[in-house]
Amino acid sequence: MEPLELCRDILAKAKALGAEESAVVVSRSTEVSLVRRAGKLEQATQASSLGASLSLLVNDRYSVHSTSDLRPAALDAFLERAIAATRVLEPEPERRQPPAELCGRYTSEAVLDRFDPGWESLTAEQRRDQAERLEACVDALPTRDQVLSATMYVGDSIGETARVLSNGFENVSRGTGYGHGAEMTLLEPGGRRPEGSSYFSATHLADLPPPEHIAAECWKRAEQRLASGPAPSGRYPMLLQNSSVGRILGVLGGPLSGSELHQGRSFLAGKKGERIAASGLTILDDPTIPRGLGSRPFDGDCLYARPFSVIEAGVLQNYYINVYYGRKLGMEPTTGGRSNWVVTPGARSVDAITKDLDRCIVVTGFLGGNSNGLTGDFSFGVQGLLLEHGEVVKHLSEMNVSGNIGELLMNFGEAADDVWKWSGVRTPSLLFEGVQFSGT
Amino acid sequence: MIHFDQFGVTAETIRAVLATALAKGADDADLYFEHSGSTSVALSDNKVNRASTHVDLGVGVRVVVGDQVGYAYTEDLSRDAMIAAARLAAEIATGTQAHAPIDVTSRTYADRYPVTMPWEQVELEKRVAMVRDWEQRMFAADPRVNKVEVSLADSFRHVLIARPDGRLVYDYQPMTRAFIVCTAEQEGRRESSSANLAQRMGLEFYTDERVASLIKRAVDDTMILFESGKPPAGEMTVVLGAGSSGILLHEAIGHGLEADFNRKGVSIYADRMDTRIAPKGVTVVDDGTLLHARGSINTDDEGNPAEKTVLIEDGVLRGYLHDEISARHYKVAPTGSGRRESFRQPVLPRMRSTYMEAGPYDPAEIIASVEKGIYCRSFANGQVQIGAGDFAFYVRHGWLIEGGKLTRPIKDVNLVGNGPRVLETIEMVGNDLVIDEGGWTCGKDGQSVPVSQGMPTVKVSRLSVGGAS
Repeated sequence: MEPLELCRDILAKAKALGAEESAVVVSRSTEVSLVRRAGKLEQATQASSLGASLSLLVNDRYSVHSTSDLRPAALDAFLERAIAATRVLEPEPERRQPPAELCGRYTSEAVLDRFDPGWESLTAEQRRDQAERLEACVDALPTRDQVLSATMYVGDSIGETARVLSNGFENVSRGTGYGHGAEMTLLEPGGRRPEGSSYFSATHLADLPPPEHIAAECWKRAEQRLASGPAPSGRYPMLLQNSSVGRILGVLGGPLSGSELHQGRSFLAGKKGERIAASGLTILDDPTIPRGLGSRPFDGDCLYARPFSVIEAGVLQNYYINVYYGRKLGMEPTTGGRSNWVVTPGARSVDAITKDLDRCIVVTGFLGGNSNGLTGDFSFGVQGLLLEHGEVVKHLSEMNVSGNIGELLMNFGEAADDVWKWSGVRTPSLLFEGVQFSGT
Repeated sequence: MIHFDQFGVTAETIRAVLATALAKGADDADLYFEHSGSTSVALSDNKVNRASTHVDLGVGVRVVVGDQVGYAYTEDLSRDAMIAAARLAAEIATGTQAHAPIDVTSRTYADRYPVTMPWEQVELEKRVAMVRDWEQRMFAADPRVNKVEVSLADSFRHVLIARPDGRLVYDYQPMTRAFIVCTAEQEGRRESSSANLAQRMGLEFYTDERVASLIKRAVDDTMILFESGKPPAGEMTVVLGAGSSGILLHEAIGHGLEADFNRKGVSIYADRMDTRIAPKGVTVVDDGTLLHARGSINTDDEGNPAEKTVLIEDGVLRGYLHDEISARHYKVAPTGSGRRESFRQPVLPRMRSTYMEAGPYDPAEIIASVEKGIYCRSFANGQVQIGAGDFAFYVRHGWLIEGGKLTRPIKDVNLVGNGPRVLETIEMVGNDLVIDEGGWTCGKDGQSVPVSQGMPTVKVSRLSVGGAS
């Protein structure tokens, strides 16, 4: 049965069993991944998958379910248990679906362009060849003899998702995804084996960087960890490398969400319309970017997915409010979760910015750490580089960066011009002043 | 056989699928049938307002040629679909069939998680009443409690592993997990903390005493945050409290001793076998056999019985955690450490319950020996770089130690160190080993598996603390 037909079938069955509302998603996907190391294929995985998930409202009681056991008798028994499980709960009418007129596609699939038609003609030989070419580029590095082990990753997938809501919404979307990357381990005297990796994701094969670039980037990242150690504890300007920004801005994810606002666990509660960051910082949520990794025509509630400001010139403009928390909080829904985050770039390069600083720490990666959304406090292990007037004077490891995200955002200095497009967080490198690092 | 009925397959089908997997000259293969399910109920806003159920069914086919792995899976357990998956997995091999599978015979291993009140027989109304009762007890415990969220989840996993050497191993793996989030308000300020428990047990796990202690912890851990501050920044002496401090072993040593990393030479411990890596008196094990532990398994996911594996014996590195591929490489017996998240992923060497054996010191004596440092009591998460050996873990609750005494509470701080160097600086090991009952989950190569960890009170002379200056 095709995913859309299966959705309709499950919806009809749920209704017959007593669900006044239901939303059904059926996803079918095929994934292929190759791992290559030391001149041979180390692992090859390929599989096709099919599964269904649904949410139910029975007498205003709400529940969610999923199954990959789609044999007719098993599915019927699963739905009966799901309905029975829902009946024992307490009612919550805020869970009702949004009115049909709020649901629909904001951007056409033709504009979003999430499907690479080349996927269907990709052969097993071509995939093996991609992995071999990547390994050949690593082997061709002038520094290859310093590399103890190098592993290549080549993967791609196609997915088809059908969605049917009892309010009348129906949609089928297809998308493709590709990921190519490398990981390297170097050997230091004394036995330490610093590692670096570079990994790139895109919806279209043609958007991935060439294998030479992946190999060179991987070497650069591993080399930056050679002979590393901690710098003295203290306050430094922090240049957060573009690919690492997501981890720090991600601290805002919880505090911006309707669930945390409603539970009284957000340091951003009541701050809408107020300045929460230096005026140079602007973050847009944009689900309409062609080929964007977080792009979508509608959100998790099937509401039209429109671009909106999260932070504009330092002022908090919007929270992430889905239909349910909108009703609980008495707020208009925006959307329940992030699509693409777009941070406005600046005019100068990273080199130009760091050259003007007596010294700064460039954060290139994180190690562990966490944050507290109620206070905004965070503490992360970091790796990076200590720079003086733009020159690398030390490779850094075994250090922490700690502080409060609210204070950090007010100490935002400048955005560089180097937007990272390989993630759902499209951001340049960002400079922050006076950040607390602990080392020796 | 009853286990075949569980998956709707026969011995003949299993033999045919294994034969297909071996058809291109593979050395070995396995079929991993899985039928898993979970049920949870959750309370928030003073209502038991959410239930969820999940079912997963499928088979993974793994084909092994030397250290090369071909893998495929299907949720469709028809003979044709399984044969097709076996053909895909077999593409890793390029020869012709060298040997045929032997007819399977069932094997039974010791049961580490007998259940007296299985969740399959517990009415949903009972779960609803339990979370409601816990919520009421949370509010009654302290007038400052103003929001409570509770969830109670149980899951099961039936697995059936078939091998060409004739092994057929079945296991039933139960689990339960309780989670409470407490938010409190005091003089206009808010704080929030959570507590959780997880074990391979049925309803009998939730004794009055255990529930009372879970509730007390959720409330006390929230209230102490009102008085907690940041510790100073920089390197200092750290005392790890008994129990969940085992997260240090998990990150600083455990991952680095998973044999796949060592076979490839990418672990910092790769050339250290049978050398001293910690002071005398430090013994670390990874144990799949603890009764009811979240990390325990009767069989690993290749069909080998779980065991207690000594990693560090009195300070000397003695063993790695092996799956069959690494065991063959090192010419040792597998340690029952081959695990996978589900039938959708191939096996990797993984931890089970990792802990340090108890030492001679009284915990009070350990704290009294520290002039200035911090005491770590509860943890959120950790991470390691296998090759560099650098690791981190996040401390949720702790205390400042001044003049041999716990003086003021601290919160939310990340600690980093280097595995081998931190091991060398273990100064005192307490006599109070506790295996933590928390719901720990370990991630590797995108696969999550349940684990446990434990620790006696331990003093480490130097770790970098991410506090405020």
